[in-house]
Amino acid sequence: MSWASRIATAAGRGAVRLVPADRRDWAEAVWAEAHEVPTGWPRLAWRAGGLGLIAEEGQMARTIGSWLLFAVAAGAAAWGAWPGSPVSHAAPVQGGIIITLALLVCLPLLTRLVLGSPANRAARWLRAGFYVAILAVMPAQTAIRLFLGADPRSGIDRHVFDVIQGPGVPGTVSGSSGWAGEIAILVFTGCSLVVLLALTARRTPVAPATLAIGAGAGLMLGVAMYAISPLGLNVKFPDRPWLHGSAADTVGTLAWILLFGAPLVAGALAGRRCSVEDDPAKAAVAQIWQGIAAGVVSGGVGAAFVTVLGAGTTALMVSSAWVRDLLYHGQHVTASAVYGRELYASQDVPAYFLLLFVFPFIGLIMGLIGTGIANPNPRLPDGGRPGGPPGPGAPEPLPAPPDGGRHVDAEEPTVLAGGADARPTSPTPVLAHH
Amino acid sequence: MGSRSEFSPQTLAVLAALSGQASAWQHGYALARETGLKSGTLYPILIRLADRGLVEACWQDEPTPGRPRRHLYRLSAAGLASATTALAEAELAAAERAATTARPGADPRRRRGVAAPVVP
Repeated sequence: MSWASRIATAAGRGAVRLVPADRRDWAEAVWAEAHEVPTGWPRLAWRAGGLGLIAEEGQMARTIGSWLLFAVAAGAAAWGAWPGSPVSHAAPVQGGIIITLALLVCLPLLTRLVLGSPANRAARWLRAGFYVAILAVMPAQTAIRLFLGADPRSGIDRHVFDVIQGPGVPGTVSGSSGWAGEIAILVFTGCSLVVLLALTARRTPVAPATLAIGAGAGLMLGVAMYAISPLGLNVKFPDRPWLHGSAADTVGTLAWILLFGAPLVAGALAGRRCSVEDDPAKAAVAQIWQGIAAGVVSGGVGAAFVTVLGAGTTALMVSSAWVRDLLYHGQHVTASAVYGRELYASQDVPAYFLLLFVFPFIGLIMGLIGTGIANPNPRLPDGGRPGGPPGPGAPEPLPAPPDGGRHVDAEEPTVLAGGADARPTSPTPVLAHH
Repeated sequence: MGSRSEFSPQTLAVLAALSGQASAWQHGYALARETGLKSGTLYPILIRLADRGLVEACWQDEPTPGRPRRHLYRLSAAGLASATTALAEAELAAAERAATTARPGADPRRRRGVAAPVVP
């Protein structure tokens, strides 16, 4: 065997490992059969076909496409977010960008090793959406920091700046956020990413419908939150250019209702849709798990949505005159007043990142409550009820009717997993089609 | 008018090659030579047929010394029935097409797949 043939054989064996285990035989078959093909171009063409098969069966096109798309998006986001050299706080910002990109690359790989790849299409879409959110926020953050760090030299803006920010050195770019703020944002981002990756991994038994329900509820929450806080998260002096008077109160009330109600309903729906065949104890655990997951996803999506749109709107406002005109169109607001609002909004943007921690936590609790409301009497593994002493266990099954029919009071089977012979070994949820 | 076959012409060629020696195990390269298909076309077809239970596959028991074991293929019982039906339908459809195109007075544009103009 020539050295070229040896290299080709070794490369082929390595490439075959990219194919899922249940398809590996076929890839190996093409490679083995190459020995029967005449040497030269025919064998080369045969092996090229084998590589095509490996690429197709290994879903490499999708994987490579995803990584390429991510590389382009990450490059664009980093280019847009990278601060120029005159900025004194450039080091923390640059460090934050590099660490964020490293987290986006490394955490999915680590999660894949421990918990497996994304479980389904809903999981992939959710991950993609979160990645887009993180990448979109990066340039917005930099634009806001540059605005906050650039002190006006003189005039009324200088006075407004001193009133809002405190006295600084006129005409300098002092930088408003150091490493402390950057680390806090990185921690919130990293924790949210870990939770999201874990919830969407294959070995985490979260059903696709749970993710979809949670994401839908989260989007509603995010829209309401953005409507009520489009320019920074300032509860005391909110700036709502689009909402006035009773409309603002109504939307504000709706946002509060959705903050607690959306994960509650999502948890209830996700819990109700889930069941495990023939095992009430496992079903109860799976329902609780689905409810919690739906609530967390709901809160996380809502927080990510309002963070991206809020930070993006604020960044556009401080950097584009047409956005300022759009926001305050028809309002008699002086230039210094607009500048003051920009400063307030920019200062309040970091508070959005706090929502990435607070909302999923609220979602967790409300999702759990929602599951409890939807399934008021879940059977625990010891046969008892939650909050009480262990019960006597499940009742004895009724004897089979003599005519081979069904008991009159027998409950309808809520869910059947793949027919009568399906026996799940783990509390993996199965979706009911109600 | 013949019904449209559920198999592509390439798949029909593979089924025809396999049904030629229905009970015998065949190699991938032999099938490729007989059908004229490249490996990148042949093996995906074999995979889909095996997924549908129409083709059985196994590894050679005793490989030739110095050569790796080969993968072998043959039609299953369901595959043989399906292949027989599909090949018969394809033959019938081909005969109908030939009869249509050979009919005197047939619109030559229809032969080329161009729709004839609507006459009011």
